Amino acid sequence: MDLEHHLHYMRMATKLAKYALDHDETPVACIFVYTPTNQVVAYGMNDTNRSLTGIAHAEFMGIEQIQAKFGALDTSVFQNIILYVTVEPCIMCASALKQLGIQKVVFGCGNERFGGNGSILKIHQDSSTAPKNKYWSLPGLLRREAIMLLRYFYVRENERSPKPRTKANRKLDLTTFPPMDWSSYLSREDFTNIYGSAFLKFYDNRLDLSEKLDWSLIDNNQDLFFQELQAKCEEFSLQTSKKSKPETVS
Amino acid sequence: MVKKKQNPNRINYQEGIINDRLLQVRNASLSNDPQVKVVWTVNIRAQDSQQFIQFIRESVQDHDPIAFQHIKRIKKSEQEGILTVIVCSKTFVEQQDDFLELMKKSSLDYFDVTDRSIVPSAAPSTKELSLVWSTLYWPLVWRGNPNDQTMNEYVFDMPFIENMLGAISKEAARRAQNTTEQPIVSAFVNPKTKKVIYSTDSRCSSSPLDHSIMQGIRSVAASEHKRQMIEKEQTEDETYLCLNFDVYTTHEPCSMCAMALIHSRIKRCIFLQPMHRTGALESQSGDSYCIHNNHALNSKYEVFRWLGQEYPVPEIENDICC
Repeated sequence: MDLEHHLHYMRMATKLAKYALDHDETPVACIFVYTPTNQVVAYGMNDTNRSLTGIAHAEFMGIEQIQAKFGALDTSVFQNIILYVTVEPCIMCASALKQLGIQKVVFGCGNERFGGNGSILKIHQDSSTAPKNKYWSLPGLLRREAIMLLRYFYVRENERSPKPRTKANRKLDLTTFPPMDWSSYLSREDFTNIYGSAFLKFYDNRLDLSEKLDWSLIDNNQDLFFQELQAKCEEFSLQTSKKSKPETVS
Repeated sequence: MVKKKQNPNRINYQEGIINDRLLQVRNASLSNDPQVKVVWTVNIRAQDSQQFIQFIRESVQDHDPIAFQHIKRIKKSEQEGILTVIVCSKTFVEQQDDFLELMKKSSLDYFDVTDRSIVPSAAPSTKELSLVWSTLYWPLVWRGNPNDQTMNEYVFDMPFIENMLGAISKEAARRAQNTTEQPIVSAFVNPKTKKVIYSTDSRCSSSPLDHSIMQGIRSVAASEHKRQMIEKEQTEDETYLCLNFDVYTTHEPCSMCAMALIHSRIKRCIFLQPMHRTGALESQSGDSYCIHNNHALNSKYEVFRWLGQEYPVPEIENDICC
């Protein structure tokens, strides 16, 4: 596996999550990458506040962008798309991605309450949800950054709450992280196949891939990055519409 | 709480069937799972037990997320005249420092603070199991099968339910006749106004993910958006997500839709046709997810399957996610 390649896109997803945090949404965000050309095709942030539903998760926002570009009924494009998301998709999103036939999912931290790629259920590998579309899911990339963004969010929510909850939620923990339990997501054998045997020490000792946090992803303002990201996605649709127009006639 | 004898519904507690028609759908594996939790215990002198229980009632009980209704708080210790008391769960107080802080509120003597005991947080379903768990973990009180109580407390408006099932059954039959879409239909009922929003599957014309449940959730939100535009203020029919809605649907929902209903905070889902391969609610369906009744998810809704033949549904292929 080319870890640096995946980290490149995870950094983008993390920046977008920071952008979401700065704009009063949950710091969970995703980037969809079209693998034949390695281009960003869509992005997503949670939209539960504005949409008045509990189902407008980041993944769905990105899926809608892709459907708007390629048409919704032919799902074959998803075979060529990798999702990079800061937090493990919930059961609903994991199921939606599988029904569409996504190629792969790469994520930062686990979703202990609702996770559908191993934390609670393993939808991506199950036999009741479009079983022919089983996909691989790679956990743990920029996990600490994802956790830290969520901590910022919860501390802020707790401060705003009229009745702050427990003591533990009140102070922001900047230094300690729970162990990374790789075995919730991958068997030792699958882990070796994906990350390589040189990485087994991380699996066996429940360690993060990197102890060091990239604070620039968390501290910096990402408004400019967001504009660039939007432009990139728009650019992509122009390219494809030029190329694919003759094909769509048939 | 209604007394069992006065319940207007005919309840078959053994089989989990109400009025011979509604089958309670739940996670079969849960009833034998004690779901043990770690607790903080202390030892006290026997003569202090009354006052100690008073302290727990006043300072702990209402705040602890784990209820200990089927557990004896106090048991004898190995030492004569000394009792061991459960103060609270470790879920409630994680750190020993915080625990000792909590204990300062009591003026009584205590010793041997430990977090080494585990107790069942689920109540046992049979008397036999209660005895087994009492020996294995901590002394329990047998109060009957907790699910009997749950069944006894359900409220059903049978004519309304039949009305809704009749409506979705008819609409599904009509769609099977007149459209090329999957004949899957749902109805979302506002708990306050009883206003009904119907939704249909449109995976063949709009998106493969536009299952009837997803469409219904979006319709409820669209209706609330509209209300906010007109009313500007709170009115009786204001909704938050689909909080406490009842949802009727022709076919057992898939993993996506079953989870979307959790996110939407509905109260109850009643369906007609089980989907043995793709369903995510019944113990016997698919991967036995029982998403509405999964303790790891910490959020749930009631589910029933209609058992009668009154409301037929069009047949669809068994690998369709509904």
